[in-house]
Amino acid sequence: MEFSEHIKTANVEDVVLRQPLHPPSRGTLCITGHHLLFSVREEVSSRQVLLLLRNIDAIEKRVNAPICISCLITLFLKSFLTSVENLFAYSGLISNAGRNESRISGSSGTITIKCKDLRVLQLDIPGMEQCLNIARSIETLSCLDCVSEMYPFFYRPSDISLQDQWGLSTPEKHYTQMKELQDRWRLSTVNKDYTVCPSYPPAVIVPMDVDDDVLKKVAKFRQGGRFPVLCYYHRKNGMVIMRSSQPLTGANRKRCKEDELLLQAVIDTSDKGYIIDTRSSQQAQQARITGGGFESKSCYNRWKRLHRHMERGKALQESLIKVVEACGDNSHNMDRWLSKLENSKWLSHVQTALSTAGLLAECVERDGHSVLVHGSEGIDSTLLISTLAQLIMDPSCRTLEGFLVLLEREWVQAGHPFQQRCAHSAHSHARLQQESPVFLLLLDCVWQVWRQFPLALGFSEALLLKLATEAYASDYGTFLCNSDQERCALGVKEKTHCLFQAVLRPLEREHYSNPLYEPTELAIWPSVHPQSLQLWRGFFLRWTQQTRHLEEAQEEIRNMVTEWGKMALS
Amino acid sequence: MFQNQVPLLPGESIQTTVKDVMYICPFSGLVNGTLTITDYKLYFTSVEKESFILDVNLGVISRLETISVANQGQNTKGLELVCKDMRSPRFAYKTEESHPDVVNVLTKHAFPLSHNLSLFAYLYKEQFPVDGWKVYDPMAEYRRQGLPNESWTISKINSTYELCDTYPSILVIPTNITDEDIKRVAVFRAKHRIPVLSWIHPESQATIVRCSQPLVGPSDRRCKEDERFLQIIMDANAQSHKLTIFDARQSSVADTNKAKDGGYESESFYSNVELNFLEIPNIHVMRESLRKMKDVVYPTIDEAHWHSNIDQTHWLEYIRLLLAGAAKIADKLESGKTSVVVHCSDGWDRTAQLSSLAMLMLDSYYRTLRGFQVLVEKEWISFGHRFAARVGHGDENHANSERSPLFVQFMDCVWQMTRQFPAAFEFNELFLITVLDHLYSCLFGTFLYNSEKERAAKDVQTSSVSLWSYINR
Repeated sequence: MEFSEHIKTANVEDVVLRQPLHPPSRGTLCITGHHLLFSVREEVSSRQVLLLLRNIDAIEKRVNAPICISCLITLFLKSFLTSVENLFAYSGLISNAGRNESRISGSSGTITIKCKDLRVLQLDIPGMEQCLNIARSIETLSCLDCVSEMYPFFYRPSDISLQDQWGLSTPEKHYTQMKELQDRWRLSTVNKDYTVCPSYPPAVIVPMDVDDDVLKKVAKFRQGGRFPVLCYYHRKNGMVIMRSSQPLTGANRKRCKEDELLLQAVIDTSDKGYIIDTRSSQQAQQARITGGGFESKSCYNRWKRLHRHMERGKALQESLIKVVEACGDNSHNMDRWLSKLENSKWLSHVQTALSTAGLLAECVERDGHSVLVHGSEGIDSTLLISTLAQLIMDPSCRTLEGFLVLLEREWVQAGHPFQQRCAHSAHSHARLQQESPVFLLLLDCVWQVWRQFPLALGFSEALLLKLATEAYASDYGTFLCNSDQERCALGVKEKTHCLFQAVLRPLEREHYSNPLYEPTELAIWPSVHPQSLQLWRGFFLRWTQQTRHLEEAQEEIRNMVTEWGKMALS
Repeated sequence: MFQNQVPLLPGESIQTTVKDVMYICPFSGLVNGTLTITDYKLYFTSVEKESFILDVNLGVISRLETISVANQGQNTKGLELVCKDMRSPRFAYKTEESHPDVVNVLTKHAFPLSHNLSLFAYLYKEQFPVDGWKVYDPMAEYRRQGLPNESWTISKINSTYELCDTYPSILVIPTNITDEDIKRVAVFRAKHRIPVLSWIHPESQATIVRCSQPLVGPSDRRCKEDERFLQIIMDANAQSHKLTIFDARQSSVADTNKAKDGGYESESFYSNVELNFLEIPNIHVMRESLRKMKDVVYPTIDEAHWHSNIDQTHWLEYIRLLLAGAAKIADKLESGKTSVVVHCSDGWDRTAQLSSLAMLMLDSYYRTLRGFQVLVEKEWISFGHRFAARVGHGDENHANSERSPLFVQFMDCVWQMTRQFPAAFEFNELFLITVLDHLYSCLFGTFLYNSEKERAAKDVQTSSVSLWSYINR
């Protein structure tokens, strides 16, 4: 497909850009296949705003046209007859009228661009025709479905090469590094051609005594083939975190000997294990009607099931929409702000995620038992709490590199469907399909931990913000596709650059590191009281004045630490 | 033997020691221990857990309440200390014939003024290397601001507090005005609190002027001298031909005040004057808001409704009103280069809040450790914020409607600013909390009494220690 067929107007002069915190500026707007570029040429300096079209969540058009009476009547009648409901249809009508009669030359249009990273820009474009062309290009190009046409396949920065290693680690490397687990656990390549579980990586870690034939049978008994695999080994006591999807017990309580055997092999000689089900027990019961289910006490008698209801899917997406709406409310009515925040329920989702992760870590670290985590599909809340629990318990996940490796393992390789979940964000008018801000919720939870333990994490808030942006629209291929299989099929690892590698480049690394980092071997237990949890200002209020002062303060801390380091050396 | 374990301040003496007291901890249940009451504090040490100590100064106690304690046997009494600082520790103890009752001892020393005893600040004998009473020297502070200059003079007209008994002895007033005129203005302003300069912008010469409401009354009384006074204030700033009056009150309340002989400046009598109401509710509303806030946070928090409960106290809404009002004032000076007059009814509550917050926004000196002390000494203490009445130092009458947490509210606003501008302040949260602790403690003379005149009469500076001696040690 040629991008040019979607670009009727590529350049417009004399466009006015309005964005928060900046005075309006006049310049040239340019639309390319992947970008919106606005450049100001002033006598002394030139400024540019470069925006990935993929980052655009929604646009709103408004025409400021000196329309003649007859046009208005036509318009009115048309809109009356077709009972249009919104701006889009309205401006569509106007464009027809505009084309028929060239009387509207003095007109102009305004496009409001709402981005997935919550930035809002406004462009005043002279000439209605041009305005509508630009808007149509943005609408089409911002949500192209074809992955191989997305920008990461075209992004070629000069300082990194496609020959560089893609990604930071592999399941093989993970296994080799964990010497302690090798006598009881093995690396299985049963999924090497993705036929056993399409959403798993080709290699996974499973109990030593369970052979590949058993795994194949277990996979048939678990939704999407996601049989229980090891995701974390706790060095202090040899306990593990396993994750999977729900068992397909169905209405007539089907059993699977191999599944029971596998879980038995996980516990080995220990007296019991825990299953943390991220659904309420009622939801788990209901899942049986549609073929899903849970591990019943009678069949898995050494496993104790704990149910924690975690919101997912649409409910989470709607919560994000509400919290963003509350943050964007400029009515300055203090009266309602906190109530709005509460009603969005976003912070209560943060609380549930952190407390469930805390429960998981408690089972492993304090009780000394192994845990299996799953919800239904095992690709959302399951990953959320296994990641957070590792951050709580394992100091090696708290370095900049360690955290990225954790994300790569638990989200990218483990098959979180980024493409579906991050197709749209809080501003979109599109009908919701598979969108859900689970990854954003993870980043918010990590931020809460970061705030409560300012010295314990090796990375900065800037990293979390970067990840929150890149998951939705990126120059890099890391968050493309829904699984390892899809990435391989499209050659993502050969034809795009890796975000994690880019973040670790020497110059970038400093920006994404926490200057105050002091490693601790201890577990870090976040407080989950509502009064301990705060709105992630850095993200939700990112484009407001307030955040700027916080950034200044962070910069000041960095400088002080650098100065102090110099003094200590001399 | 227990007495030896209680650390005492110089001048502090133990009044009674009671054994077998239960501290009813809201978090961990009952703690058994020994309670010592001195003339300054209540000191509880656990017999079981060595480390547990509860140290509550008596000044912080608002009222004592007997409570019922179930299942603790006969002769057991329950006691709740309702405090001014968001906590209410509870105790259970056995009554014994031979022992003076705990409540009596506590009452006497928590409320010394109601029992003809003196405040502990007069008994405290600590020596500090620095003298905090020297922190604020009005002449030096006005010199720092570049005063006097050709338009403003440092006046001794109130040196004996005859003109206004709640104002400081040193005032900055316009040069071109006679003492006779000032006396007429004083009669026209509530409590004789005439317009005086609080702060002058170093570049534009725009000023913050504070005063009380004009006594306009229902018949729209006028005072030529007052009108001329404001005209002179306007003229002192060559950059602008306007003057903005910020009346902190709700406009409806200002109208009610007019019926009661108070009021506000009419724009038709004061030329080129613009009047703005900041719509801030009165001290009674603030007291009620903080009371609700305490219910929300202590002893237990309803986790499911945390935000909406906080919302319903309206505390943050009032914080926002104050900060927004102060920002308007600061913006008028900074961007509009226009002088402002700030008043409420008496000019010692909301006026102090607004003028000091605006000064904190405009002048980085006040954001230093030392400068903040000067700001509090100047805008609050010397200008007669009624600390004794608002806090109720040593006074048993907890239901007195004069009490209100206006200074706490100001400190919350300061905290909000430190949070939004983390690199702009020299002091930290601990400093703000320490100041608030000693707002109640009566350990230092700094916040005692209602005015400079009262403090002079009670020899506060010679008989007690300044909080700043402790802070700056």
